[in-house]
Amino acid sequence: MAIRPTMARSLSSLLGIPGQYRLSSQSSSVNAAEVSHFNNLASTWWDPHGSSRLLHQMNPLRHDFVASCIESQPDPTSSNHRRYLDVGCGGGIFAESAARLPWTERVVGIDPSSQVISVAKAHARQDPLFLEPGRLEYQNKAVEDLPVPRIPEEQFDIVSLFEVIEHINRPAPFLSSCLPFVKPGGWLILSTIARTWTSWLTTKFVAEEVVRLVPRGTHDWSKYVNEQELRKFFRAQDGWGRDGGLKSQGCMYVPAVGWRTVPGGEKLGNYFFGVRKDPKR
Amino acid sequence: MRVWDGLSSNSRIFFDALTSEPPIAYMTENQNLSRALVTRLDDLSAITLFDKTSVADIRLGHPVPFPAKSPTSLDLSSYPHVTLSSNHTIAARLLVGADGLNSPVRSFAGIPTRGWDYDRHGVVATLKLSRGTGHSSENPQRVTAYQRFLPSGPIAFLALPGDYATLVWTTTPPQAMRLKALSAEDFVAMVNAAFRLDVVDLDYMFTLDSGQVGELEWRESVQSSKKADVDGEIPQRVASVQEGSVASFPLRLRHASTYTTNRVALIGDAAHTIHPLAGQGLNMGLADSRSLASAVEDAVRHGADIGNEIGCLDRYNGEMWMRNNRMLGAVDKLHWLYSAKSGPVVGLRGLGLRTVDALSPLKGWFMRQAGAS
Repeated sequence: MAIRPTMARSLSSLLGIPGQYRLSSQSSSVNAAEVSHFNNLASTWWDPHGSSRLLHQMNPLRHDFVASCIESQPDPTSSNHRRYLDVGCGGGIFAESAARLPWTERVVGIDPSSQVISVAKAHARQDPLFLEPGRLEYQNKAVEDLPVPRIPEEQFDIVSLFEVIEHINRPAPFLSSCLPFVKPGGWLILSTIARTWTSWLTTKFVAEEVVRLVPRGTHDWSKYVNEQELRKFFRAQDGWGRDGGLKSQGCMYVPAVGWRTVPGGEKLGNYFFGVRKDPKR
Repeated sequence: MRVWDGLSSNSRIFFDALTSEPPIAYMTENQNLSRALVTRLDDLSAITLFDKTSVADIRLGHPVPFPAKSPTSLDLSSYPHVTLSSNHTIAARLLVGADGLNSPVRSFAGIPTRGWDYDRHGVVATLKLSRGTGHSSENPQRVTAYQRFLPSGPIAFLALPGDYATLVWTTTPPQAMRLKALSAEDFVAMVNAAFRLDVVDLDYMFTLDSGQVGELEWRESVQSSKKADVDGEIPQRVASVQEGSVASFPLRLRHASTYTTNRVALIGDAAHTIHPLAGQGLNMGLADSRSLASAVEDAVRHGADIGNEIGCLDRYNGEMWMRNNRMLGAVDKLHWLYSAKSGPVVGLRGLGLRTVDALSPLKGWFMRQAGAS
């Protein structure tokens, strides 16, 4: 019976949602309720049997997708000294793994939740590699609070937003704030969930209510962003996604198997999206 | 490979690899395998080998208060710290327990095991043969392995290069004691008897303190058929036993409830101990190593911490635990099947062996299981 109110809320938003309203709005990206939700989750971030288990299991797919984007358009300027900016880094699942890769020069992880940043910092102390100055750095900031880079040396080869935009109030200005951090020829990579019947069923109803795979309130289905909406957003941006520099890849969690990529899955539920900042001619 | 039942002697099975097929299995002495591994380790630059050293202690690193006084200090509290007899201490990102049945790594990790003792001992010895070995004349690299199922357990005879062979005789603890106490000549007579005489003859010979040489001679002289000796259905006669090579060990079934915890992985006998009757112990250990190595390789490629369960070790445990559990169960059933001395099960197992022998595809499947685990 406890599930009734959630179902009703989600159903009403499903039926009443206006297509693009969130992508055109104009205020801050950080949602106070979301920050508080993730503050409460912070202590279990690295618990292998905790609520972040699915994110841990998804992590190899993130690297595979980043690699497929970079390999699709080989660029000699971003090969062996890669710099990553991980926006909404949480407890550092992706940031740590990126910092371990042999071609990585530097990883900066930022998150508006102070608790998850302190968890990330404490966890990073478990790996001697991360004591190398500059290799992995965390800041308790929103992307809007970072100084906007003025020269390419301050920009990043990869700016990642993994499972972030579905927690953001107004994705369009948030994405716009991220764009200046990408180096020409570099990639903005994100993963999120499409706003579909299947995603409501799997992420809201099954994952949060039936099997309780993730804590209730982790997702707000009405904030989910569709792949088509992202494509439209980036087509409107000057200097992005030229010559095939725009890719997406669906993926799906199969119980007892794990995450698998699904061709066409970007129209169903979880997907990766990558867009390249056009290199300077 | 020739396998037969001690209680129904017409039930035989020949696993003969066709000349066009790859061999069923390879036999190699432990020291050859060890030498190959050490040579390989020498080739790898990033390896430090601690020779003639034992593990004195394993414990976790000192706990670090949270939040830490110094936010940039290293926190190795989740790393197993291994102290060696040479006084080195190694903090391990991943500690692999390949340390056998009584694995200290498994005890450190607090991983329980399930299983039971078989009330059997494995008697091993290196034998010198009177003439030739099981080498076929066309291909001297191909040899024949012999295994006879006696009610106390199987006796297996595996040819080695030259005129040597290795023996694995599974039997009851009192019989194992008796074998070890016999003179070299009487021990050799018992091995020859075990492949030739009836079970009642053999049981009687076990009751004697000495004089098995004469017993065998007399009992063979009154038996009519020696045909088997001629056409290679039983192994060549043993001439002598290599001095100091007779040893025995208790047979057990053990299975760790999991192969992994944070920063720990168990492989080989530390993870599972199996009855030797199907010769799968080493194969299972090798398969563990291959699986763990591939999980580590994949983790490194994706920047994961190789000591982390989700990032790396879960994959190894998921790949091997169930598979090994099935093998342990199947070999355990075989042990109980061949422990039966009388009743319908003896007739049925003879029928089973003859059926498998008659059906080539089924036989091929058994051969692949025995060889390539």
